[in-house]
Amino acid sequence: MLLVPCPHCGPRNSADLRYVGESVSRPDAESATPEHWRRYLYTRSNPAGWLRETWYCRLGCRRFFTVERHTASNQFRTPVVPGDKPEAKA
Amino acid sequence: MTSDSRPFLPSLRSVRLTPGKPLLGPTESGQGNDGRLTGRLGARSGEVVDRRRPIRFRWNGTDLVGLEGDTIASALLANDVQLISRSMKYHRPRSYLTADYWDPNSLVQVGDEPNVRSAHRLLAPGMEVSAQNVWPSVEHDIKAANGLVGRFLTAGFYYKTFVRPRRLWPAYERVLATFAPGGSVDIDTPHGYYDKRYSHPDVVVAGAGPAGMTAAVAAAEAGARVMLVEHEPALGGHLRFGDAGQRAVVAGLGRELDRLGVEVLVDSTVTGRYEDNWLAINQRSHPGVVERLIKARAKSLVVAPGLIERPYVFAGNDKPGVMTSGAVRRLINGYAVRPGRRAVVLTANADGDRAVEILESAGVEVAAVVDARAGGDVVAAHGPARRLEEVERNDGSRVEADLLVIAIGWTAPTSLLNMAGDRPVYHDAGARFVPGAALDTVLATGGLVGDGSLDELLDHARATGRLAAGRAALTSHRLRFSTARARAVDGPEPPWPDDDRPDFAPDPHPALFRSSTHGMVDFSEDVSSKDLVAAAAEGYDSVELLKRFTTATMGPSQGKLETVNTVAVLAEARGETIEQVGTTVWRPPFAPVSLGALAGRVFEPTRRSPMHDWHESNGAVPLSAGVWIRPDHYGDPAAEVVNTRSNVGIIDVSPLGKFDLRGPNVTDLLNLVYVNRWSKLAVGAVRYGVMCTDDGVVFDDGVTGRLATDRYLLTTTSSGAAAVGEWMENWLQTERPKWQVSVTPVTDVFASMNLAGPKSRMLLSRLAPELDLEPERFGYMQVRIATVAGVEDCVVWRIGFTGELSYEVHVPADRGLEVWQAALDHGDDLGLAPFGVEAQRIMRLEKGHFIVGQDTDGLTKAGALGLGRLVALDKPDSVGRPELVWDGTGDERAPTEPCLVALQPTNPEIVPDEACQLLRPGTNEIVGRITSSRMSPTLGRSICLGQVRSDLAPAGTAVTVLLIDGRRVTAEIQAHHAHFDPEGVRLRG
Amino acid sequence: MKPPARYSALGLARRGISGDSWPRAWRQVELRPSYDVVIIGGGVHGLATAYYLARNHGITKVAVVDKSYIGSGGSGRNTAIVRSNYLTPEGVAFYDRSLQLYNDMAGELNINVMFSRRGHLTLAHSDAALRTMRWRAEVNKLQGIDSSVIDPAQVKELAPSLDVSHHTRYPILGALYHPPGGIIRHDAVVWGYARAADAMGVQIHQKTEVLDILVEGGEGPEGKGAGGRVTGVRTSQGDIAAPIVVNATAGWASLISAMAGVELPISTRPLQAAVTEPVKVFLPTVVVSGSLHVYVSQTDRGELVFGASVDPYNNYSVRGSLEFTEELAGHVLELMPGISKMRLLRQWAGLCDMTPDYSPIMGFTPVEGFLCDVGWGTYGFKAGPVSGETMAECVATKSVPELIQAFGLDRFGHGRLVGEKGAAAVGH
Repeated sequence: MLLVPCPHCGPRNSADLRYVGESVSRPDAESATPEHWRRYLYTRSNPAGWLRETWYCRLGCRRFFTVERHTASNQFRTPVVPGDKPEAKA
Repeated sequence: MTSDSRPFLPSLRSVRLTPGKPLLGPTESGQGNDGRLTGRLGARSGEVVDRRRPIRFRWNGTDLVGLEGDTIASALLANDVQLISRSMKYHRPRSYLTADYWDPNSLVQVGDEPNVRSAHRLLAPGMEVSAQNVWPSVEHDIKAANGLVGRFLTAGFYYKTFVRPRRLWPAYERVLATFAPGGSVDIDTPHGYYDKRYSHPDVVVAGAGPAGMTAAVAAAEAGARVMLVEHEPALGGHLRFGDAGQRAVVAGLGRELDRLGVEVLVDSTVTGRYEDNWLAINQRSHPGVVERLIKARAKSLVVAPGLIERPYVFAGNDKPGVMTSGAVRRLINGYAVRPGRRAVVLTANADGDRAVEILESAGVEVAAVVDARAGGDVVAAHGPARRLEEVERNDGSRVEADLLVIAIGWTAPTSLLNMAGDRPVYHDAGARFVPGAALDTVLATGGLVGDGSLDELLDHARATGRLAAGRAALTSHRLRFSTARARAVDGPEPPWPDDDRPDFAPDPHPALFRSSTHGMVDFSEDVSSKDLVAAAAEGYDSVELLKRFTTATMGPSQGKLETVNTVAVLAEARGETIEQVGTTVWRPPFAPVSLGALAGRVFEPTRRSPMHDWHESNGAVPLSAGVWIRPDHYGDPAAEVVNTRSNVGIIDVSPLGKFDLRGPNVTDLLNLVYVNRWSKLAVGAVRYGVMCTDDGVVFDDGVTGRLATDRYLLTTTSSGAAAVGEWMENWLQTERPKWQVSVTPVTDVFASMNLAGPKSRMLLSRLAPELDLEPERFGYMQVRIATVAGVEDCVVWRIGFTGELSYEVHVPADRGLEVWQAALDHGDDLGLAPFGVEAQRIMRLEKGHFIVGQDTDGLTKAGALGLGRLVALDKPDSVGRPELVWDGTGDERAPTEPCLVALQPTNPEIVPDEACQLLRPGTNEIVGRITSSRMSPTLGRSICLGQVRSDLAPAGTAVTVLLIDGRRVTAEIQAHHAHFDPEGVRLRG
Repeated sequence: MKPPARYSALGLARRGISGDSWPRAWRQVELRPSYDVVIIGGGVHGLATAYYLARNHGITKVAVVDKSYIGSGGSGRNTAIVRSNYLTPEGVAFYDRSLQLYNDMAGELNINVMFSRRGHLTLAHSDAALRTMRWRAEVNKLQGIDSSVIDPAQVKELAPSLDVSHHTRYPILGALYHPPGGIIRHDAVVWGYARAADAMGVQIHQKTEVLDILVEGGEGPEGKGAGGRVTGVRTSQGDIAAPIVVNATAGWASLISAMAGVELPISTRPLQAAVTEPVKVFLPTVVVSGSLHVYVSQTDRGELVFGASVDPYNNYSVRGSLEFTEELAGHVLELMPGISKMRLLRQWAGLCDMTPDYSPIMGFTPVEGFLCDVGWGTYGFKAGPVSGETMAECVATKSVPELIQAFGLDRFGHGRLVGEKGAAAVGH
């Protein structure tokens, strides 16, 4: 059971949260080409290392937040307060 | 001490300096010349059995008597029973080897419980104990004939046989399956009462030998809340069966633990260490429950399981009568059981030397001491299969003996450290694996780390306890002050305590794994060193491949006894060092855990509406719909349809997902999450909407009403409520953080019911006399807030899932039953009757309304639903819109893309089952499927919804339906989804 | 190439008497500077591809490289269930071929893979689940697959330990019954392919980790990515030149593809499994419950082997979790309340390469010579033989075989996903 650092609630058991997934930035829906859009929908960097991802504090503050987690060691770092968006992926 | 604590040292209870007259056991000093090989000795000063309390039990149907404090094993040996089990493959007779939890030969059936560790489980009155994996009996086992052909049944033999002819393999397999080892399960065993507990100690200490006890004391003295967990039924570890001085040390530590209020759990095991020191503790023998699983989030974990004495590999090493020195110490000193009459001792260390003394003190003749440190060795144990008679030494001499005691070294059970990421390293001088690099909050101490005097051991343990407490304090601090809110009240962070523990390492020890002969390496799996050598030669020459090929270390003790000998034999076969070969890491659990303990009390909650009891007492047949229990029908769903269509019906729709939306940007949110347009929704109006995910796939649907300028009530499917709530929050919080909308789930706030049918207006007018129901002022798809049956603030909207004139009334939940009852009271003369989910499903199908998740699937896009202009593709942005634009609607879609259509079989009597496949006529080509089907009581014919390729969707197209029974019938695509009242005259009436 | 010593009861007897050992199942050889094909990943997919390249196409200058030992990934960590009762016609045809190859494997590879065709039950606990079972059964029947929906009484007959009463929280309303499904000895499949491929000249290099893929002429950095051409791989044992490199690395697929500059729609999730202590055989079939996220079978050794759905978050660690065992035990006891006293002996995890549509990614990529056989998610083992066969054909003929045309990487760019997701909550 991971301890997930919710920026509001502090460390909570991962069962109290929902994993949303790798954080991706949504292209502008007006101008996106099918290629861009489907890359946003499907392609994932899936690194074996630090991954910026989104969690939802389901049983706590009910806030979405992003955090970096190391996908091999499961350590967390730099949780981001809800509303702040991660840097758009190149 | 908390309620969880168990009395310390139950072993001391039975220590009496002047024992009373024993009820059982020999009256002489224990040597009892009774012709028995094993038996009860006279009273011993450290014994843990209570001679005044006999316990009757049965072994293979025979009545026997043991003593309180006995394990099943000691009671059996006290009764001169040595043959306990048969080995897995060759069915060789087996007796106790280590006489503790890990003993591979100790597994017995106790009542309906298989695979009980008889050297660990305490004897209880009336126990029905029997040997398992034997037929017809442990004494005479027919499968022992396998032993005769053992040379052909080498490890992995089955891969090389039964290859051809293939048709015979199933028959072979059935025979092979009868060889499955283990006890039996009675599939009618009741699921007993198991429980769980959460705990948040600062420090958990796994193992309560002298080191674990000392570490616990030191951590508690440093201010930590400590939980000490011991696998055995009493504290003390290897000192528990030691001399008086050693037992006094244990007693003293016990008093310290008590004084400091350390929570002590005995007969409990830390079975796993998971992420962030999430620990699983399997607590057995806790009052009131069969077993308990404690989940502890420890800030620090001290691992102090001690050492496991390792068997030695030589010819005949699995013969009954071959035992480890630990077994001898435990049996004689603890249980006052004589393990044999005439012993040879192979010793390479002080434990072996001590065994000689212990044997002699029990009157066992020590015929020879073979000192491995001086070059002595044992090469074979001789005798018939079931008894040791002679021990052959490496000088060729043979010594007559019925007991061979082995003390050749240990295995360090690093399991919990491995689970924390530690890799054991080989300590060459000490001839054993030791923990690798130290981890921050998982600290090892005791025999696992090193040898030395008791003082050195306790010094290391004390320092470890202090270190664990210090690091726990820092971890606690960080956990407490890690949130945005807490940062302001942060005090100074405690310093990181450095590891200043004294050096502690294994003493030099001869490297003894295998003698010059071959013998058993894995006793549970019947894998010999010869098997391992042969497998390595075949290319299975890494530890992992070797394990998989031979199944060595895969049995009930999971390699606690076998892994190191396996590695050593492989190293020998490869001509390499043990260090080069390396070892494997242990996976959880440390010791097997019952499924009952892991499951605990099974909580599978259900949700019920405020009217649930009424349904139950009025003949409703329940339907399990996700988490909700709903009335499926009240006896005759077709009659419910007919009554609703001709009079009026009432249905409980409380499970409908409901959200209260407020704020200036609600319209923006609705425009974003629904594919249709929302800006023009007037106060008092209701609109239907379809939600998609960003790939254009339909996700949910429902209606939303505008109750006031900035107040909306949004409804979702019953099963989709939670997901839609999260979905809206996700968009608001991550993509549109500047929007001001508050989303409040109100599913449970309202009891919801739908009045449907031509007489529903009449009924509602009686319930809500002040509400203006005139169609021109309260039309279809409109909402009002009204007082209904005297209950204020009800939301009433006019919608029509059933296709009838109908009003959905959302009532404050605590008044739901009252309004429901009032409706029934007022509707009697109108023919009002309740209807259930089934009737609703029939009516919505007659009306052609789809159900998301039934008529749609994981790839259905909004353009496939025939919604026409409802899908607004000219909005600036909505979720899924780009894909919907590219996918197109109606005719623009690719001919192979499926779309939703209504179908009617040409034979009106035939109702194709849902999921029947649609075929291109005259072929087997699948062109679609039936997604919903029913016999329509209204139309008197079968009706369907289905998905079909777009090019076959035009009205009038005939497709073939393949029925479940293989018949093929024709169905025709309809012009409208609605089979009934396509113009909507009734619901708009 | 010397043919391997035949495995037979007679051979076993002869060696039992003479004491001679069997020859190595596969050779230990030095890495060559170049191969015609390098296959990354020594699991059932990689080894089967190598085997069929040699057997069906005569291409034997092939190296299979693995950073660990063969079968160390998903091939040795799965629950060894095979079946072909999928939902989509393309899925059914594909897995049916796999089942056929499994069926003939013992004879063809001369090793007893202990294929136990004991039947496979997928339980339905709701009307919706029953509808999906019927959907699968109907699609299956049309393609000649033995698969049908049965009622609770028939379920009880096939698996007496199941509680089919109505008073459980999730009553068993019926099941999809698939008699040809069963379990197999997964390690033997790996070893069988390795031994047979080796005998035809394929080289197997264990403990050989791929550090980079050498690509030139591509649009991306270092000449990698779309438009590029593979020239070889860099391994921990040295560089190898090769015009064709096949990625068959399951959970590590994204990392290996990234080395060639190819991005994939894959997330790596652990799939956990566990085994109990052995007891006398009482469960004759494979039992799966999608709603309860559990599947269980009993081996000939008497152990119950359990699996569940993939972990809830991306991970490259195979340490396993407590909550998996808690949920598993709870759900298993819902189905079979009588086994609460059985004990869990060991838990483990393997890494799954999950795709958005629960279907694989097979064939060519935008980098010439770099092929993928990945995205298997939780179905990889079942598909091993047919994947090997079709990937070998793909490599040898430079064209995509019909059986795998639905599984191309480009389907995501075109928004044409495979419909297997429909029934794949837990699809074992």
